[in-house]
Amino acid sequence: MPKSDPFDPELVRELAKMIAETGLSEIEVEKGDLRIRVARTLEPVAMQVAAPAPLAAAPPPAAVSAPGPVPAAKAGAGHAGAVPSPMVGTAYRRPSPDAKAFVDVGSRVEVGDKLLLVEAMKTFNEIAAPRAGTVTAIFFEDGQPVEYGEALLVIE
Amino acid sequence: MFDKILIANRGEIALRILRAAKELGIQTVAVHSTADADAMHVRLADESVCIGPPAARDSYLNIPSIIAACEITGADAVHPGYGFLSENARFAEVLAHHEIGFIGPKAEHIRIMGDKIEAKRTAKRLGIPCVPGSEGGVEDPVEAKRIAAEIGYPVLVKAASGGGGRGMKVARSEADLEQALGLARTEAKAAFGDDAVYLEKYLEKPRHIEVQVLGDGRGNAVHLAERDCSLQRRHQKVWEEGGSPVISEAVRAEIGGICAAAMRELKYLGAGTVEFLYEDGRFYFIEMNTRIQVEHPVTEMITGIDLVNEQIRVAAGQGLSVSQSDIRVSGHAIECRINAEHPATFRPSPGLITYFHPPGGLGVRVDSAVFQGYRIPPHYDSLIGKLIVHGRTRDECLARLRRALDEFVVDGVDTTLPLFRTLVRNSGVMAGDYDIHWLEQFLENGGVAEVEGR
Repeated sequence: MPKSDPFDPELVRELAKMIAETGLSEIEVEKGDLRIRVARTLEPVAMQVAAPAPLAAAPPPAAVSAPGPVPAAKAGAGHAGAVPSPMVGTAYRRPSPDAKAFVDVGSRVEVGDKLLLVEAMKTFNEIAAPRAGTVTAIFFEDGQPVEYGEALLVIE
Repeated sequence: MFDKILIANRGEIALRILRAAKELGIQTVAVHSTADADAMHVRLADESVCIGPPAARDSYLNIPSIIAACEITGADAVHPGYGFLSENARFAEVLAHHEIGFIGPKAEHIRIMGDKIEAKRTAKRLGIPCVPGSEGGVEDPVEAKRIAAEIGYPVLVKAASGGGGRGMKVARSEADLEQALGLARTEAKAAFGDDAVYLEKYLEKPRHIEVQVLGDGRGNAVHLAERDCSLQRRHQKVWEEGGSPVISEAVRAEIGGICAAAMRELKYLGAGTVEFLYEDGRFYFIEMNTRIQVEHPVTEMITGIDLVNEQIRVAAGQGLSVSQSDIRVSGHAIECRINAEHPATFRPSPGLITYFHPPGGLGVRVDSAVFQGYRIPPHYDSLIGKLIVHGRTRDECLARLRRALDEFVVDGVDTTLPLFRTLVRNSGVMAGDYDIHWLEQFLENGGVAEVEGR
């Protein structure tokens, strides 16, 4: 005897659409002996933005959207395979202007392979791969300034 | 004038520098450790660069990192604030080599004043009164006795490589001297690796009085009156006043004039403070600080002059905005350094500030980089902020300070606010009747209990 399939993808899709449209975080429905719950995590409100407002008149909220890097929002920050910059300087993809880039997205690397150069005070520092893997993302362009801890690329 | 200043510091002084730069229309770069990514001055700066992990040695003291940050942002000057690299002559020289402005004194003056024996020699040469003492190091007990007899007992045997109150032994009479000498040398060798000691007259109950100076580097210099910083705990200033409760206008003009003349002679550039011990109506030079100091707002409140603005101007090659005759002391100011520490045990209390309400009103200034929701990191000093109050008279200033302290709310961490609420009500403090030992003696003799009860 064929078992009735309990999974109803159409229903799930509809519930998900309802959540998005209504701004709810969770919907649970019962249909026969099937109960489905669809939930999503809402984005946490950025608490730091609210904090300075009571103190100063206008500048702090404006400053958050001002030009210049806001440290927390860097691309790739927090990615498990991210390779952070160990120093401040100018990052280069290639050993010299006419040469090929050290690595591209898709390159396979072993521990110790050269990934990029960071230059400061006329000294070029080679940054080597801390682990073996494949380069899946590169977050900087040739000649871009980088700061300490900034995610340069991802090796997975 | 500079186009872009890189602020090589953190906390309240970084914010102070940022404010002065903004008022001059100069772009700002905030360099910070990973622990300070959320700091107020980092949010307000035009650009920011993370220069290292939390440890100061790897970030705020990391010269290559700071130079690299200048390179990638195109900053044409650096303001070092106080502490960190502010009195590092090599840093000033490295910046000069890279053609980046250093908002501070000439490297040679930082160097001279950084060496205690050399500083004293220079001060003497410039006519600044010094503590009577031996010309250089003393080894031989017979020689020591001769010098001590000339100076007059009690005398202090001091380690040449010491500092911050360490490596000192008192000898009250000739009978004590030989032993004090031997002990001091042994301890100095152990603590500093150098057993060289010298003698100075020991002052029993001095006040700490310092004179603020400014120079344009070309032979023009002014003094901006004195500050009394006698209330200290373990050689850390806690409460500062301007002018000193015991200094008259005539004495102010005299000692200020001596300091200004010395700075003119040196062709001193930038802000500086000449520090003295003061006892029985006489001044004794102890050292000169070649930087902006924590307590500079006291002077700003009584003179109306923006000292950080002046620093930037003279570093950029402009003259001082004032001459000596323009400088007038008006009223009285008191600053309280509010730390994230237990008010009686002084145990540090880093953590999250859950509620922050600073006082306001006429004559009330709060220099603080802290805000509600800010987490005080454990890696640096515990200064939450400075409360500076001004009044037309010292009495009005004290009344205003009492009111402002009562209004100030900081929740989530321990603070030294209760200590100040106790001090502002203390009859000795209210009379201005204290010396550099007063605060520690007060705390030892029941003061701790009184503060805890508040």
